[in-house]
Amino acid sequence: MRKFLVMWQKELTGHFLSSTAYLTMCVFLAVTGWTFVWTLSKNEAPGDPLTVLIAISVTMWMPIVITVVTMGLFAEEKRSGTLESLLTVPVTEWQVVMAKYAGAMSFVVVMVAPTAGYLFILPAVGVQMPSLDLGSLLAGYSILALIVGFCTAMGLLISLLTRNQVVSAIACFCAVCIPFVMGGVSRAVPQPASDVLAYLAADEHLLAFARGMVDTRPIVLYVSGTMLALFLAVRVLESRRWT
Amino acid sequence: MIKVHHLVRRYGSHTVLDDISLEVQRGEVVGLLGPNGAGKTTTMRVLSGFLPPTSGEVRVGGYDVVTQSLDARRRIGYLPENVPLYPELRVLEYLTYRARLKGLHGSRRRRGVQKVLALCGLEDVRKRIIGQLSKGYRQRVGLADSLIGDPELLILDEPSLGLDPNQRRDLRDLIRRLGADHTVLLSSHLLTEVEAICDRTIIIHQGHVVASDTPRNIAGALMGHRVVSAEVRGPRDQIAAAIESLEHVMESEIIGEESGWFHLRVQCAKDVDVRARVAAVVVSNGWELRDLRAEVDGFEDAFIEMIRELNRA
Repeated sequence: MRKFLVMWQKELTGHFLSSTAYLTMCVFLAVTGWTFVWTLSKNEAPGDPLTVLIAISVTMWMPIVITVVTMGLFAEEKRSGTLESLLTVPVTEWQVVMAKYAGAMSFVVVMVAPTAGYLFILPAVGVQMPSLDLGSLLAGYSILALIVGFCTAMGLLISLLTRNQVVSAIACFCAVCIPFVMGGVSRAVPQPASDVLAYLAADEHLLAFARGMVDTRPIVLYVSGTMLALFLAVRVLESRRWT
Repeated sequence: MIKVHHLVRRYGSHTVLDDISLEVQRGEVVGLLGPNGAGKTTTMRVLSGFLPPTSGEVRVGGYDVVTQSLDARRRIGYLPENVPLYPELRVLEYLTYRARLKGLHGSRRRRGVQKVLALCGLEDVRKRIIGQLSKGYRQRVGLADSLIGDPELLILDEPSLGLDPNQRRDLRDLIRRLGADHTVLLSSHLLTEVEAICDRTIIIHQGHVVASDTPRNIAGALMGHRVVSAEVRGPRDQIAAAIESLEHVMESEIIGEESGWFHLRVQCAKDVDVRARVAAVVVSNGWELRDLRAEVDGFEDAFIEMIRELNRA
């Protein structure tokens, strides 16, 4: 446990020591803010609730954020050889994977959490907004956290498969985009395929939760998906031991 | 300290280590020598627990590196080839992080880091960012990292790569000092270095151990003869023939001339010293002699000769 904490702390400081982190954070907050204001201006009565608007604005940029955060997690350590020094001290593969994952997740949470502030800043500066349902807000951000958790685990797994950050970034971006476009795809295909795809549609889940419709099925999906991706990551890391 | 028994390591269908067996006793300083691609780095990766053997048994301090990997790793300080470091961290931050990963906490950690900083001469750069350090300093940071926690066994892969002659000498002194109370296994392609530091040399070639002995014995065993050099003034056409007629002399040739003095290279049997008789024959012929000495049998020559022979075979 102590070694996990040591590595987690290293990951966090690693994220916050790089200039790309601050750049990503600033650009992310700027574009989501702009997207939110734009959707707000297009939202005519009766329109969607505020929580849906913020969900749309944040989700739109999520694949890029997750790609930037996860692409270097292992690819960079493999390229520079530090993975070798990391795995020759007495730590287990599980500790390494969990620390990397926790570090990336903490960073994404720190980046995304301030977007909730838009909902409170805009009325304060005198912008007319529809009323806000706090329950839906909580539900929306909870499912967003689960989806992001799943996508980050996927990104981590992909980063482990290559030593090239560019390959890692492109593959990760494609993989992360898939759940977010599944809603549109599911509407375009006939049953029963559409039912299956709808179950995997992150965009649909997010909008449903943001409307306050909490459902346990997506929660099971993302929690088990995350565990599977992390389990596979540990096995891949151990696979250098298989001959 | 190290016991390797019939170690085989393959990458896909390519066999890098082919039935390697070796032992290193506690307190020994052993050099692993071989041409590029001989399997030095792979051997060290297996010993450090980074790569598992395809077959065979590898034990460090009595612990199997596969099944008791964490116990084995606790006893090893490993410096990988090319010294991978995190360039964005400061020297002190990096060593502190590594010390905590190796299970040192609190005052033990502070003392441990302080000790390796002093040992490797890093106190002046402790606040510097690793990415901005020179190659020599980065090498020392890597070495300091491997020394944290005073591991019983140091595995150093090419520790002197990229260092200038002064730094190499410092490193040599440091390793020799460490050798007093550590077991050290280092690889190098600098033969003089191995000769100067190591009690014993293991030569690897194409995945096999081809020799394991002191550098002196390896050189002795490989060189089938001794070489004596002499400078003589006299009639050019008679000198070489006169010396060659001596007992135990295999060959004598003139390899240079400097204002009437001929430089001779005399090859003779391994166990005899022919210098006195060379002197006698020169004097009895009425020629002059100004230099006569036994060439030191070069470890380097022996090594190069050996690799050439092996490649031919």
